[in-house]
Amino acid sequence: MRWGMVIDRKRCIGCYSCMISCKQSHALPPDIFWNRVLISETGTYPTVTKQILPVLCNHCKEAACVDACPTGATTKREDGIVWVDADKCVGCRYCVIACPYQMRTYYADDKKEYWPGQGLSELERFGREEFYPIQAKTVVKCNFCIERLDKGQAEGLKPGKDREATPVCVNACPVTARTFGDLDDPTSNVSILIKERKGYPLHHEYGTEPSVYYLD
Amino acid sequence: MTSYKWMVDYTPQTEWINGRGILLWLAFFFIELGAGVFFVASFFKSLEAMLIGWLICGVIGGGVHIMYLGHPFRFWRMIRKPGSSWISRGLIFVSIFLTLGLVHMALVQWASSSVALVVVVDLFAFLTIVYGGFAMNSVNGIPLWNTALLPILYAVSGIWGGAGIALGVALGTGAVSTLGVSLEEWIRLLLISYIVLLIVYLISVRYTNPTGKVSVRRIIAGGYWPIMWFVVVLVGLVIPITVVAISFINGIETMPLFVLYFSILCELIGDITMRYLILKDGLYSPLISSSEYTTA
Repeated sequence: MRWGMVIDRKRCIGCYSCMISCKQSHALPPDIFWNRVLISETGTYPTVTKQILPVLCNHCKEAACVDACPTGATTKREDGIVWVDADKCVGCRYCVIACPYQMRTYYADDKKEYWPGQGLSELERFGREEFYPIQAKTVVKCNFCIERLDKGQAEGLKPGKDREATPVCVNACPVTARTFGDLDDPTSNVSILIKERKGYPLHHEYGTEPSVYYLD
Repeated sequence: MTSYKWMVDYTPQTEWINGRGILLWLAFFFIELGAGVFFVASFFKSLEAMLIGWLICGVIGGGVHIMYLGHPFRFWRMIRKPGSSWISRGLIFVSIFLTLGLVHMALVQWASSSVALVVVVDLFAFLTIVYGGFAMNSVNGIPLWNTALLPILYAVSGIWGGAGIALGVALGTGAVSTLGVSLEEWIRLLLISYIVLLIVYLISVRYTNPTGKVSVRRIIAGGYWPIMWFVVVLVGLVIPITVVAISFINGIETMPLFVLYFSILCELIGDITMRYLILKDGLYSPLISSSEYTTA
């Protein structure tokens, strides 16, 4: 089993729902994004194209960050999810450098608030201390909503089909541009999409074998 | 940085050079320089230089490296993945080098050290010199670093800087006619090797891929071009070459001490500045291949 995601760039409208739902569900502090929607224009007038590229950790099969981590804090589970054990992370940031997709962030300041100068609001404090605590001075990144997947599977639900066991960014997408499923299963929705629509990962030349594919 | 630039533009790495990242630049430099001093000093049996090298590596380099970490008291965990992580290997090399180096110096001072120990200590000193280059070389997302020439360049610059400080110690202890002459020969060879390697390194990266080309262009003609040409080339290479050439013709004994010290200082300034530029101009490729789209 290897969990993966397919993002249809033709469907994506750049509404940032995935980005905001991710931030909300993980109570992420300012400047920390596990999901991003990059929007730009390419080409020269009059042939200009608007480019929308939602990005997140690629949970690579041959993850450069796993090899780079000197402490074993970053590991890859049997289901392909690459995650960081904050208690083992020393904050050396070698994994941040090693990731060719720049999907990792060093969480330096846990006192930084959304309303500068006013201190942490009750909601922020609750989010950071109780709802989804993240350890400062460590490296953070998308974990494919590992807690939802584990809890859902324990309850007999199927990730990618049952909302409660599926990453929130997939659930939040209003145009179903994101699909989640098992890449190792040739009959899964993600495998079929990749095969039929020639899905491609970012920078395959690095040999990292990402688990996030894009469709054009 | 606006997020869209990340998708279509070359973006520099920042973690290892901006903000507290500056500490890592210093850590790599002092760890490798200290090991280089020890490496050279052990060949010339200069206990004073060995001790200085050990202190530069262990106290300054190691101290700065630990300060850089988010959780400094967990640093010991960094030895847990030597199978795949160069940082882990580096910490092991540094730890063994510092431990055996201390034993070796104690034996030299109070008893006599064995040849086997010297060989082992020098091996780990050398590994300490090169590990930073390998740690950077293994980052395949940054073409400026992802070249086999980088560890070699760092090895030569580490030993070159080490020879410079060992020469400085020899000058300070009045051993110019004995150690100074031999060290000056080392420096001559290392200086030439460094210049050749630096040129070959920049040319090879330039032709690797578009990202490498942009990185090299930034180094030699980008925002930091005055630093490259005035500090690295003029101060770090031209002044030492001039001093080495004069001492080669007239003999090192005829050189005023302050000129030699000044030349060593210039050499170190050039080396640390070049390392800064290599860290600063380490660029990632855009997420969307530049061959696929033309940026606006």
